Amino acid sequence: MRIDLFARKLSVAALFSTATFFGASAQPPSNTYGASAADVFHEAESKYMFGFIDGADIGNEGEKAVEYEATGSFQKRGGRYSAIEHEFAFEHVLTQNFSYELSAHVLTHSISGVEDLDDRNSTQFSGLSSKLRYLILGRGPSSPIGLTVSAEPELSRIDGTDGARTQAYASTFKLVADSELITNRLYAALNLIYEPEAAKPADTGMWERSSSAGLGAGLTYRITPTFAMGVAAEYDRAYDGLTFQTFNGHALFVGPTLQINFSRKVLLAAAFMAQVAGHAVDDPRPLDLTNFEQYRANLKLEFEF
Amino acid sequence: MKQSSISKYGLGLILTLGLLSASPAAQAEDSVTVNISIKDHRFQPAELQAPAGKPIVIVVKNLDSTPAEFESNMLRVEKVVTGGGTITLRIRPLDPGRYRFFDDFHQETQGYLVVK
Repeated sequence: MRIDLFARKLSVAALFSTATFFGASAQPPSNTYGASAADVFHEAESKYMFGFIDGADIGNEGEKAVEYEATGSFQKRGGRYSAIEHEFAFEHVLTQNFSYELSAHVLTHSISGVEDLDDRNSTQFSGLSSKLRYLILGRGPSSPIGLTVSAEPELSRIDGTDGARTQAYASTFKLVADSELITNRLYAALNLIYEPEAAKPADTGMWERSSSAGLGAGLTYRITPTFAMGVAAEYDRAYDGLTFQTFNGHALFVGPTLQINFSRKVLLAAAFMAQVAGHAVDDPRPLDLTNFEQYRANLKLEFEF
Repeated sequence: MKQSSISKYGLGLILTLGLLSASPAAQAEDSVTVNISIKDHRFQPAELQAPAGKPIVIVVKNLDSTPAEFESNMLRVEKVVTGGGTITLRIRPLDPGRYRFFDDFHQETQGYLVVK
């Protein structure tokens, strides 16, 4: 309960302090939405602006891109823990409202002396996934808010946490909203996340079902037309069962984000998050390092063609 | 059994999203066509007008010998037009406002679609 309250206060404080730092004052978009000819800050795509938190933009119809994304999880209870997922993706914006992404995944684990996990050093092809995005509402003259739903079904042969063989089916569902608090300069996003998973580890041969729910928020400021920085927070809850049957633990992550547009066609986005509060059921120690990692980092490189 | 039901749900989701996003034939019936040219890396005219609430077809003719890419984050389209070539872009019905577009190969080349 104390952690819940602390987490809530901390996330609100982090977002508020960033907004204050950047001199944020919420402005509804005018009817002449977009930059004037003299303004160097034109409209920007919000999709990757918030690090681990998604933006609502899906790209422009006809856009095709290849992406490399690395997502690292670092540090569990004791010892040394590192799990890095490398994702190679092709993305295509099929219509003005719909895009899809097809990805292949490779997992690298380096685990030594961690509580309840076997030591492991491995790099393995781990599976395939797709990401489908549907833009319900685009930001523009008629709406200050962008709204997108996405589904990311994934087929895995390697467990993301311990690197052991498994057979897993999972999907991440997100409801994504974003807005421009200052037109073309200050952006905010909210994500509602649901992730069910069914997995059959090779060592037990028994199906296990789990799920997680999350709430994420991000705030990003474009310092120059091609460079943006921000802060993001995500609160996650882990459960047994596909529909939140048994609560296992929760964690709050907070960290910085950045995005650099090297050109109109090449983009780099990076984010880091640290678990600042959390608790695992049946473990009196602070933080939830049973269901979550202590640190997470993300790097995306996108080449549009 | 589990894999089969997950595949069915995935296929259903793709079909639903596809149907939701695909309606170009219906949109073409009542659309308004506007024409624009690119000459010496400038849009001519630099400002287009179109009515609100109707699908819009933009015909872009490139009078230069070098390629251009008509792009707009607000209209959510991008398409390359070769030197001397013509492209057609279909835009969803829009609300009143000013929508910026530009040539992605020559960033200073920009114009506006004014929807009233």
